[in-house]
Amino acid sequence: MSLFYKKYRHLISAYIVAGIAVLATILPIIWVGMLSLKSKGQTFTRPPKWLFEPNFKNYVSIWDNELFTNTFINSIIITVIAIILSISIALLAAFALKRYNIRFKGAFMQWLLIAYMLPEFLFIIPMYGIYQTLGFYDAHFGLALMYQVHVLPFSIWMLRSFLDEIPKDIDDAATMDGCNAFGTLYKIYLPLILPGITATAILNAIWIWNELTIALGLTFSNSQPITLGIASFRGYISIDWGGMTSGSIIAIIPMIIFALMAQKHIVKGLTLGSVKG
Amino acid sequence: MFKNSTGYYFILPSVIILGFTSVYPALYSFILSFYNWNWGTQQDFVGLSNYFFLLGDKEFWIVIKNTFFFALCACSIEVTLGILIAIYIDRIKVGAGIIRSLLLIPLMISGIVVSLMSKMMLNKLFGVIPYLMKQIGFSSNFYGTKDTAMWTLIGVDTWWQTAFVFIIILAGLQSIPKEPIEAARIDGVSEWGIIKHIRLPMIRSLIFLVIIFRSIDTLKIFDLVWGATGGGPGLSTEVVQTFAYRTAYGFLQMSKAMTIIVIFSVVVGILTVFYNRMDRKLR
Repeated sequence: MSLFYKKYRHLISAYIVAGIAVLATILPIIWVGMLSLKSKGQTFTRPPKWLFEPNFKNYVSIWDNELFTNTFINSIIITVIAIILSISIALLAAFALKRYNIRFKGAFMQWLLIAYMLPEFLFIIPMYGIYQTLGFYDAHFGLALMYQVHVLPFSIWMLRSFLDEIPKDIDDAATMDGCNAFGTLYKIYLPLILPGITATAILNAIWIWNELTIALGLTFSNSQPITLGIASFRGYISIDWGGMTSGSIIAIIPMIIFALMAQKHIVKGLTLGSVKG
Repeated sequence: MFKNSTGYYFILPSVIILGFTSVYPALYSFILSFYNWNWGTQQDFVGLSNYFFLLGDKEFWIVIKNTFFFALCACSIEVTLGILIAIYIDRIKVGAGIIRSLLLIPLMISGIVVSLMSKMMLNKLFGVIPYLMKQIGFSSNFYGTKDTAMWTLIGVDTWWQTAFVFIIILAGLQSIPKEPIEAARIDGVSEWGIIKHIRLPMIRSLIFLVIIFRSIDTLKIFDLVWGATGGGPGLSTEVVQTFAYRTAYGFLQMSKAMTIIVIFSVVVGILTVFYNRMDRKLR
């Protein structure tokens, strides 16, 4: 036993740490998932009911709640607009940064980082007035446009780092064959970095889906995303526990699926393209 | 490298969109911080008086203190914990993939959902955690008192964001070359000695990145606080961004809110530039 212990001591301690970390991570989510499957009477019992017959009443009633389903649909629309906008524009910029000798390249990259990092309310408070004048306030497109301040720099870094993995010779060959710049981008580079584009789009979707601050400042009712839909269950007078728990689970599940799809690239995403995943 | 002007056309859309969404509103905020604009009233130029007013405002300093306290505590706990977990899990071969995936989950959850989850679980009357603590003889009131609310937020942020540190440091540890480590092991250096003197120094640029990113992120905290406490009880968890939000959207004191956020942005901007410089040096 002691020999066994000595040999595997490091591994045993590693599994203990991993076990504690995993439990601490998933137990709260499982608990909220359990709450979402409890009926009203079971939610507040003391001691808590550990075993119970699950029922899906909370999910049925949240799906009948038009205010919530609207925010869910809004989130999908906003996410799609913001991703199309950011990927198409970022692809052009990333391509230019790789291929052309651009003056102020360093300044441009610095600008991306600062815009990405500055606190949201620096941009939102003035935009509250500007957007009302322009008619962008409380509109899907307006919110998707404002999200670019975060999503666009991120997409440029990501796509640039994917483009950098492609050898330059391919480009030269295409140019010699008479391809113009657009042709080279769409015929040569685009197919090669398609997996990178997908990963970038997914990571963008996760950020947009979870965003609250900018939406709180620039929407009122028509285009509120799901984060504000969930927040609305936290009323001033009473808390709708059923809505809060089932809404939370509905918001979490697509993100976990997305994360699994983009898992290989998450480290690259978190470090803004500076570390290969 | 192509030297013709085509490149500028490709980069132009990004410049226009980023100009509209970042430079334009930032300048607008900066300029209006010299006016006394309350929503709906006339704007008068008042020079630096917003700044002087804020610097003499007790509330503002409490908010600044709260923000930096939160950022310092949350950032140091998360970085320490994340590095430790990464060091341990790095040894695991069987099951590492699934452990990594499970630990990543909190990062995929919105701050508002995290805040509501914590509110439900820590609720004094109905929450499961106060119940369990009562069973072992502790009374608790997490978000309820001025002394505990901030620490509760720090704890919840730790649950939420430690995986950020963990996942980056783990990737770093697994990417460094094995030879120096093998050599040190043959020389009889202990496992912790190898970590302290070889492996962590080799990934120091990543550790630096993680510290800067986490400190900027914790300084900017909004959704978690807004969802969980709204800045209360009293002013005990009010941070810069919730304060700016309340000033602008609650009291409609637009110029004052812009002044707050302009001062704060300078701090965040300096941290960002500092990161950029150091990052280039370390590479």
